[in-house]
Amino acid sequence: MSEIEKKTAELLKKNEKQIHELWKTLLIAKAKNLVEMIGLDRMKENTLEVLGQFSALLSSGTDIQMDDYRQMRKILGDLSKDLTLKNMSPSETATFIFSLKDAIVPVFQKEHKDDRLLMDYILVINRVIDQLGLYTFEVYLESRESLIREQQQAFMEVSVPVVKIWDRILMIPLVGMLDSTRTQLMMETMLTSLEDNQANVAILDISGIPVVDTLVARHLVTAASAAKLMGAECIITGIRAKISQTLVQLGVDLSGFSTCSTLADGLRMALASTEQRIG
Amino acid sequence: MKKVSDSLKINVEVMDQEDVIVVRQEIRQLMRGLGFSLMDQTRVVTAVSELARNIIVHAGQGRVEAYQVIDQHRIGISCIFTDEGPGIHDVQKALEPGFSTANSMGIGLGGAKNLCNEFDIESALGKGTKVTITEWLK
Ligand SMILES: Nc1ncnc2c1ncn2[C@@H]1O[C@H](COP(=O)(O)OP(=O)(O)O)[C@@H](O)[C@H]1O
Ligand SMILES: [Mg+2]
Repeated sequence: MSEIEKKTAELLKKNEKQIHELWKTLLIAKAKNLVEMIGLDRMKENTLEVLGQFSALLSSGTDIQMDDYRQMRKILGDLSKDLTLKNMSPSETATFIFSLKDAIVPVFQKEHKDDRLLMDYILVINRVIDQLGLYTFEVYLESRESLIREQQQAFMEVSVPVVKIWDRILMIPLVGMLDSTRTQLMMETMLTSLEDNQANVAILDISGIPVVDTLVARHLVTAASAAKLMGAECIITGIRAKISQTLVQLGVDLSGFSTCSTLADGLRMALASTEQRIG
Repeated sequence: MKKVSDSLKINVEVMDQEDVIVVRQEIRQLMRGLGFSLMDQTRVVTAVSELARNIIVHAGQGRVEAYQVIDQHRIGISCIFTDEGPGIHDVQKALEPGFSTANSMGIGLGGAKNLCNEFDIESALGKGTKVTITEWLK
């Protein structure tokens, strides 16, 4: 550890109280949203903790990836995750740690203006706080991404609704894009629902799919084949004239599967194949 | 054939499936604006879907452009799909139904050709591929 870092740590320790007061004041003045979000008590607690850690850690090094900094990373990481969930922006989130610079520098300048090493101390402080700021950003982004992933997952789950429209007949309206993930999910949902409902027919309605190209066709064929393997029948409805013409020109062959242009036709077909009648 | 009206031009970089959706929507909108029937829109947009996805699957990334064209008495739309991917070894073969190096259906390229009025493909191994389709307003 260098002499400068040790000296910086000492100065920090010596002026800790004053810096802490100034930091809190700055946060309240400049980061009102943030303070409101985390609450005054937690803000006081966290600032005190970070500052205490800071002066203790500086004497062991300035690389925040070191094991010594684990507790410090945890405090900031938790705070960052929390603020992500509360929809704070990344810059607002990072204000917490960056404003510590604005609290340290004036105090150092005032108390040690005659020290010719003042600039060096400030550089040490900046080096560490910049890393901590980046770390805060990273955690923020990570939690944002996982939040988005969770939401997508949740969205996908509700976006494959299965409707039992008749005894032993299920209907699955497909909407939007039928990519591989959605198809997988749709198939799983379809197969379990067939089993749970002891159904023999699944109607896949594709009227909500904007473009039926070879990829969509392939996914439909896969789903229909899987249903067949389970001893159930799959009827694809919503293949309007425009789409069926396009499919023919494209060279997609759906002749091995039951297809209908309207849902009503599909239901009629399903009733016939389960030997049921309306009324 | 002459290209007209730069303001009607679409120019989109495609890198993933989301971009394919954007391209499809924009081309559909351009066609609607030019007065193409729903049937024509459906055919061309399906071809666009195949060709744009070929860029992503077989070349990784590329570009899709589209603009209004004019030819003596007709107006139409041209879409150009370019990439700097591996190129196609044998274009004739790639157009045949069932030929695929990606273990998929192998009907997209030939299908796209069937779906449009005009279809042109240039490809050079190691350099990339350029597909142009044109549809005329009847
Ligand atoms: N943009 C491209 N770059 C390189 N190869 C391509 C491109 N487009 C098509 N190909 C080749 O042509 C073949 C046939 O394409 P296609 O008919 O769309 O079938 P698929 O995409 O199902 O393989 C592909 O398997 C691939 O080898
Ligand atoms: Mg293809």
